[in-house]
Amino acid sequence: MNAREHESKIVESLTAIQLPLRIYIQSLLPGDSAAADVAQHANALIWKKRETFEIGTNFKAWAFAIARYEVLNYRKRQARDSMLVFSDELEETMADELAGHSDTIEHRHEVLKHCLEKLRPADRELLLHRYATAGTLQDYATRNGRSVGGLKVTLFRLRSALLLCINKGLSEQAEVSL
Amino acid sequence: MTRRERSELIDGLIDGALPESDFLRIEAELSVNPAARREYYDRLALGAMLEAEARTFGPALIDRSASSFWRKTRWIAAGMAAAAALSLATLGGYLSKSTEAPIVASAVEQNARGFGLLVGESDTIWSHAEAMRVGALLPAGPLRLDSGIAQIELFSGVSLVVEGAAEFEIVSPMQMIVSSGRIRARVPEAAHGFQLQSPDGQVVDLGTEFAVNVADGRSEVHVFDGEVEWHPQNAAMHHLGQGQALSWDESSTLIDRPADEQGFIGVDEFTARLVQDRTSRREHWLQFSARLQHDPRLVAYYRMAAPQQWSRRLDNRATSEVVGEGAVVGAAPASDRWGNAAQALDFSPTGSRVRVVVPGEYRSLTLMTWVKINSLDRWYNSLFLTDGHELHEPHWQIMDDGRMFFSVKKREGVDRTKGERDKHIYFSPPFWHQSLSGQWLMLATVYDVDQRRVTHYLNGAPLSRETMPEDYVVENVNIGAASIGNWDLPIREDPHFAVRNLNGSMDEFALFSAPLTDEEIAEIYAHGKP
Repeated sequence: MNAREHESKIVESLTAIQLPLRIYIQSLLPGDSAAADVAQHANALIWKKRETFEIGTNFKAWAFAIARYEVLNYRKRQARDSMLVFSDELEETMADELAGHSDTIEHRHEVLKHCLEKLRPADRELLLHRYATAGTLQDYATRNGRSVGGLKVTLFRLRSALLLCINKGLSEQAEVSL
Repeated sequence: MTRRERSELIDGLIDGALPESDFLRIEAELSVNPAARREYYDRLALGAMLEAEARTFGPALIDRSASSFWRKTRWIAAGMAAAAALSLATLGGYLSKSTEAPIVASAVEQNARGFGLLVGESDTIWSHAEAMRVGALLPAGPLRLDSGIAQIELFSGVSLVVEGAAEFEIVSPMQMIVSSGRIRARVPEAAHGFQLQSPDGQVVDLGTEFAVNVADGRSEVHVFDGEVEWHPQNAAMHHLGQGQALSWDESSTLIDRPADEQGFIGVDEFTARLVQDRTSRREHWLQFSARLQHDPRLVAYYRMAAPQQWSRRLDNRATSEVVGEGAVVGAAPASDRWGNAAQALDFSPTGSRVRVVVPGEYRSLTLMTWVKINSLDRWYNSLFLTDGHELHEPHWQIMDDGRMFFSVKKREGVDRTKGERDKHIYFSPPFWHQSLSGQWLMLATVYDVDQRRVTHYLNGAPLSRETMPEDYVVENVNIGAASIGNWDLPIREDPHFAVRNLNGSMDEFALFSAPLTDEEIAEIYAHGKP
């Protein structure tokens, strides 16, 4: 394989794992809005190290290892904040599971779109508005004149409904494709 | 733990609103229960997908007044607003957590977002405060290239050559907006469907090499290879194949014309031009540096062309002949800042260093080097350190948080428990961040006893300037045996403290026996930048 083919293979793989990579990094940094930044750094680092990847080996696992390093780096820089961090064992288990997880994310995304349409318009707007807005839930609640507690309950209800809908939709899809 | 409780805890965990006791409970549950982990992954995935959805549709919700406009121009508005919302989100997130030097660090952090890299440039002038250098991630948001030519690689594999003046924005690895300028794109198979939005339409790539020229809100589309779809506003979609071009005539009708391949600089042509540019810039530097060698203030000047295996010696090019050659230990050959193989030394193999002996006493000093840092993974990362840490000896290094460190030891036998100090350390603010990894930088520090001040420089510009505390002024600096890129005598056992080799490469190192001025440092940078 020549350099150009190697390159395009990497680009393909890197594009394919964007969402899983994001999810993996978020799993290590739950509730931290800097996860997007860390993911961006990880992308740059993966791209920079692309020549060291051996085609044929597990790209996702390789990329996740680089991402983990970037997460550790980020934590080191944040060391002065008290940050709650999972145990090493749990982090390793999650890395293995997420790297081995087969990719159903595109299906999921399609199903999610249908599920979103089933929500009441006001609920859908609230949800998307929340995800389009920066900052913590507390900030969001203050800005929009709502109570954090009430908002938490509503968002939890909506997310749970969406999850249920997605899982139901996925199993229906599976039946159709049988 | 009930299912409901578990779900609530996971939801709260992802929202970042969990007190420590709850965090520990859910961590325990996640550790032992695969079903809990599965739910965690599912909820994380849901969050990531909702974020993606919100990026596409959310901005219109934020600003209701924009929604009618938004419907008209579809993803242009959505993309711009999303980019703005995103940059606010990430910047806000960063600033709220930043604990030190927010100005420097946030500028660096801001840079480190985007969907592609600047891989080549020729005489570019950007209308941004901070210069964009080759290897840098392109920042999100609108970009303006005032003049020059930039080559950009998106993470999707799309290669772009942008000729200034141009205004554009990379919205995602698969989407860009061009408000004005000439842009040629080569789209690999993996990135088919790449979209380029101009003020009067949208190009959707079907696997090709194409170019647009956008001026006064009007676009010309040229196809050199493959095929594109051109969706002009208020007109029917056109398929354009190889060799075809479309532009508007004065009466606003689209007219066919042959594609003008010579009119747009392509990736290969630009690469060739870059190599040529680099070669001539290197030639230029070699001429400048040949004059520099005769500067009587220059004590030691090493160009780190990897020496022959059998000699492992670096000539001191300074003509003053006070200092001898450098001995290379461990360091491996690396490419220099112009990309020429084996013209620099890589100090990342443990133990790597260049040993030098600098006799004599110095009143003031200037230290200068070109470095490419991979990462600052040691506590101290060496630039130039005397052996041990004796009286009147300087140490020049970089801390793991990106601050430059310079000190000259003033006194022995201090009692640290009483708060006494043996030296004053002159720190710069953090200037290095992982986003600068792999980029060549010129670092310099001037120790000026007459003016009683120490100045750190990055790429020819002062980073920080500090007055010497009177009690810590040393007027007779000794160097003696010293190492470039490492520290010779790790006395303490702690490897965190003792391992100091620079994880990176250097292609030049210079030591002057006098304080260089701001102008002189800027001049050296201007002539030497790759």
